Amino acid sequence: MKKFILIISSAKKKEIPAFEYKTDKVASAKIGIAKPKVLIPVFPGTNCEFDTAKAFADGGAEPEIFVIRNLTASAIQESVSEFASKLAKSQIVFIPGGFSGGDEPEGSAKFITAFFRNAAIKDATHELLKNRDGLMGGICNGFQALIKLGLVPYGEIIDTDENCPTLTFNTIGRHQSMIVRTRICSNNSPWLQNVNVGDIINVPISHGEGRFVAPDALIKKLAENGQIATQYVDLAGKPTANVHFNPNDSYYAIEGITSPDGRVLGKMGHSERIGNGLYQNVPGNYTIGMFSSAVKYFNI
Amino acid sequence: MVYRVYVEKKNEFAHEAGSLLSDIKNFLGIKSVEKVRLINRYDVENIEQALFEKCINTVFSEPQLDNTSKTLDKDAANAVFAVEFLPGQFDQRADSASQCIQIISQGDRPLVRTAKVYLVYGNVSDEELAQIKKYVINPVESREASLDEVKTLVTEYDVPTTVETLDGFTKLSEKELSDFVSSYGLAMDLDDIKFCQSYFIKEQRDPTITEIRMIDTYWSDHCRHTTFLTTIDSVKFEDEILQKAYDRYIDTRKELGRTKPQNLMDIGTIAAKYLKATGKLSKLDESEEINACTVKIKVDVEGEQQDWLLLFKNETHNHPTEIEPFGGAATCIGGAIRDPLSGRSYVYAAMRVTGAADPTKPIEETMEGKLPQKKIVTTAAAGYSSYGNQIGLATGMVDELYHDGYAAKRMEIGAVIAAAPAENVRREVPEDGDIVILLGGRTGRDGCGGATGSSKSHTLESLEKSGAEVQKGNAPEERKLQRLFRNKEASLLIKRCNDFGAGGVSVAIGELADGLEINLNAVPKKYDGLDGTELAISESQERMAVVVQAKDAEKFMQLAASENLEATIVATVKAEPRLVMKWNGKNICDISREFLNSNGAEKHIDIAPAKVEEFAKCIPDDFVSGYKALVSDLNVCSKQGLSERFDSTIGAGTVVMPFGGKNQKTPIQAMINKVSVEKQHTDTVSYMAWGYNPYISEKSPYHGAYLAVLESVCKLVASGACFEDVYLTFQEYFEKPKKDAARWGKPMAALLGALEAQLDYEVAAIGGKDSMSGSFENIDVPPTLVSFAVTTGKTSDVVTPEFKKAGHKVVLVCPQYNENGLPVKESQTKIFDDVTTLMRNGKVAAAYTPTYGGIAEAVLKMALGNGIGFEYNADNMCNKAIFDYCYGAFVLELTEDMDVGITIGYTTEEKCIVRAGEKISLDELLGVYEDKLEKVYPYNIKCEEKRNSCI
Repeated sequence: MKKFILIISSAKKKEIPAFEYKTDKVASAKIGIAKPKVLIPVFPGTNCEFDTAKAFADGGAEPEIFVIRNLTASAIQESVSEFASKLAKSQIVFIPGGFSGGDEPEGSAKFITAFFRNAAIKDATHELLKNRDGLMGGICNGFQALIKLGLVPYGEIIDTDENCPTLTFNTIGRHQSMIVRTRICSNNSPWLQNVNVGDIINVPISHGEGRFVAPDALIKKLAENGQIATQYVDLAGKPTANVHFNPNDSYYAIEGITSPDGRVLGKMGHSERIGNGLYQNVPGNYTIGMFSSAVKYFNI
Repeated sequence: MVYRVYVEKKNEFAHEAGSLLSDIKNFLGIKSVEKVRLINRYDVENIEQALFEKCINTVFSEPQLDNTSKTLDKDAANAVFAVEFLPGQFDQRADSASQCIQIISQGDRPLVRTAKVYLVYGNVSDEELAQIKKYVINPVESREASLDEVKTLVTEYDVPTTVETLDGFTKLSEKELSDFVSSYGLAMDLDDIKFCQSYFIKEQRDPTITEIRMIDTYWSDHCRHTTFLTTIDSVKFEDEILQKAYDRYIDTRKELGRTKPQNLMDIGTIAAKYLKATGKLSKLDESEEINACTVKIKVDVEGEQQDWLLLFKNETHNHPTEIEPFGGAATCIGGAIRDPLSGRSYVYAAMRVTGAADPTKPIEETMEGKLPQKKIVTTAAAGYSSYGNQIGLATGMVDELYHDGYAAKRMEIGAVIAAAPAENVRREVPEDGDIVILLGGRTGRDGCGGATGSSKSHTLESLEKSGAEVQKGNAPEERKLQRLFRNKEASLLIKRCNDFGAGGVSVAIGELADGLEINLNAVPKKYDGLDGTELAISESQERMAVVVQAKDAEKFMQLAASENLEATIVATVKAEPRLVMKWNGKNICDISREFLNSNGAEKHIDIAPAKVEEFAKCIPDDFVSGYKALVSDLNVCSKQGLSERFDSTIGAGTVVMPFGGKNQKTPIQAMINKVSVEKQHTDTVSYMAWGYNPYISEKSPYHGAYLAVLESVCKLVASGACFEDVYLTFQEYFEKPKKDAARWGKPMAALLGALEAQLDYEVAAIGGKDSMSGSFENIDVPPTLVSFAVTTGKTSDVVTPEFKKAGHKVVLVCPQYNENGLPVKESQTKIFDDVTTLMRNGKVAAAYTPTYGGIAEAVLKMALGNGIGFEYNADNMCNKAIFDYCYGAFVLELTEDMDVGITIGYTTEEKCIVRAGEKISLDELLGVYEDKLEKVYPYNIKCEEKRNSCI
């Protein structure tokens, strides 16, 4: 029943295609849980954990913030084993935004990827995703970590090579912070069940390294699999390379992608920065509902 | 064994090299350079080879983006050089690399050193190469590095064991004391050192060098506002207006029964004292502990009215930012955050107002001994945003003022706003036996002399000699403090807290209690080799000192550890009022509190402010060309490329984006954020706005300050705030007054202007910060008094400035002005009420208070956000009405045609600004408006979509 539609008509020269993928077979959890537990790690430099925890709590989940301690070798060992055992009891692990390690050495999320490559953490993560039907997500620095680990788009932690996608420095050469418009490209994810393909959602972005780059062939494959979650669009709703709408110059204006079965979602836009009465001078719809969508996945 | 790896971005991603090449060609004007390559070099020691190899693709590089090699691939480069930080400078790149490796190894942290290798291609002359090096190496923070391999990264330090006792100090003659001040490079003057000498004669001993350095720090202008506390012996005015304002000050003193000497501090703070005495400041929160401006507010937390404290603070870092813009600006915001943080509040929003000379001028016009303005403004923006973005506070408003005077010294102001539930804050006077715990960053030599250095005269030599006086920020460390202090359990253990501003252990801990015994051997160090004096006076970023009861110390240390923070017990509170510091078993400092608190010898001055000058604006003859000139005025043009590098939305509390409308192009006039409530929700917001116009202040500091206060308040009202419970904090920044009566007259006139505005509108400055060293050789900063206004309100009351719809009537509500060119206060306050009433009744679609660029600027900026045009009412809108200053007024877009104020025109579908047939398109104006600073702060780069071949 999978449908894969590409809007070829708009793909005129110099225009980016708008990806569309609709399916009624979205991954589902086998065991229902009323209030899924969300583990939110805090690395040195993480700064979006409060907003992320609140967004999950509002969505009906039970978030827990966990500070990774690294002042001494023994503190690291304790953090690793404690995090692994908490992960085993959680249904969702979500990597919040920030500047882990100050985005150093020259490139984001290296501290987080080093942590997740630890054997105990890697095993617990794979157990969650492969055997326990769990979900994983990351926004901004979290997305950078997921993509550099291979969790998106491959669904598992791998040794990445030069053919893997990644996120790098914005072409403008500096941090960008503004509201962008994103268009939902696929519903093939438990995170995206509260929106429809084609919906345009406003979202704040704030990053220096959000430029999605990948080989063309891989992007084609991701599009066919419905793994391209969202694209940056202009006021007319079209994907664009215009820096005022595609703030980092992402290939194909891609803002977010998922793992093959959609259970892992990474995106640059800060969907957790929501609330009543915000952004009053920039009109638009800010509700993507991804946190409550994740909870709904477990409410079977 | 030291392992080395070189990492270079692949061609497609080598933006940093590309932008350096563009700077070399276009800014330095060196056309012979054809290509530049940048390679990061990492040296690592105390690591297994296998682990090092594993880290090459995961820590040092990313295979998708980088190429790596074990040897330097010089290719056919014409010149090769490497640059590294000076020893002791914090290097976030090396530090993070080391932490990443440790996470993988789970063992000890290896040593990591980084350098950047530059490969230059093209036929460059030696002279051109020297120019390039000068551009990339700022000698106060970095140096050229060797290209050779190194045997070890371990530095051997001489470990000092004693500090010098200044034998014979008490017997020095006046002449010898004077030589002593200059040979030790002290910031204090001859009177102060004589005062010191008499103290030690009484103590019947010679001081240690530690004591002299510490006293010098304690009494520096930076720590103790010695300029502001100088006694005014006499004043002489040439203007009636200043005389009247001064008389009002004297009357206010009489009314309050004040007999203490008159000084600038008194003029600056008397309004708050007066308004408090008359019951107007009932919400002010006062305590012995001085952290930041603190006000009691009610916050609606999911329907419950809770008692909260709102804290705000402004801070400058002008001197450090001038000489090392990145670190200076980063530590500006870092320091500003720590003040309210030390008050146990959570800092959630920041504003940045800076001052510079024209950054578009070519490099050849840079003054000898100065960094180019373009380099200062861009590097400072990078530094401040790097820190603010990392720590995670929403920087909701960023603006830069341009005036030639700021070539003397940059102005770098950060202002922050914070809040905490009142029940989370405990304030108690420390008692005998209480424990002082040091939290966070370690001490290094880089923090020596920060306080005294910024208070000293700035001369040509500074760039070379200030080397040891600049610091880098470490935002992730400060973020840990933010988290710890937000934890109620930890916060309630703290009896008193002080942040480490300039002055280090001696001042930060020294201020916590009258009697203290500090164990300097316990102070955590970045590296060995620091002596007792350095441990005592070296300031450190990201560090706090807290006083807890002895029984709570262990609990507090545990809570700190759970936030990944280092905590160390370093001092004990004592009953006897003396500051004692022990090092290696000896008392190297033992001074009475009374003497320290004297702040040195009393200083005296006579003041004679200059005559007030006309500050009228130059009005263009022609409407169309006037508008074009206006939009390319540095003080009007778009700052979006600057502002958008700051995270404006973290915290999920940003009520208005910095730029509004569907096009996100109308700048807001006030920063509005929800009060940060960690787990619940609120609709209570804080407002913050600033006001200041250097072109008025340079002619009349009195008018400049008065209007700065008014402008800051008007911006709040224009954004929907009610004119009640408004509080102010000032940033003063003036030329070095020396002993010159006229130079002293500038801050005095400004403070009198600000005093009158406070008394007229019954709003008080409850805090402020002064910087009195804005001079370089013979140029001075303009007399600067920036007013920051703060209040609270509700999300539903907010009004935004972008025009909403075509066909709406736009009116001006304008106060009457008195003979001095200032609004009549009764008329002004009535307008505040009228505007708020119209807003609450839903009659106002958009509002803006005209500032530097008058109504013309207001209309333009309101138009850009949604691309809505405007037609002026030709009957009453002559060029003077459009382009002149119009302080205190409001431009309102009405939702319906009502009879209010003066009709200045109508919004239109046509995207033009029109008056009686004279027409300019918004697009044309926008082009000029955005292009003015494009080369300094890129905003409109073109990204070509080349990647559509496959699908």
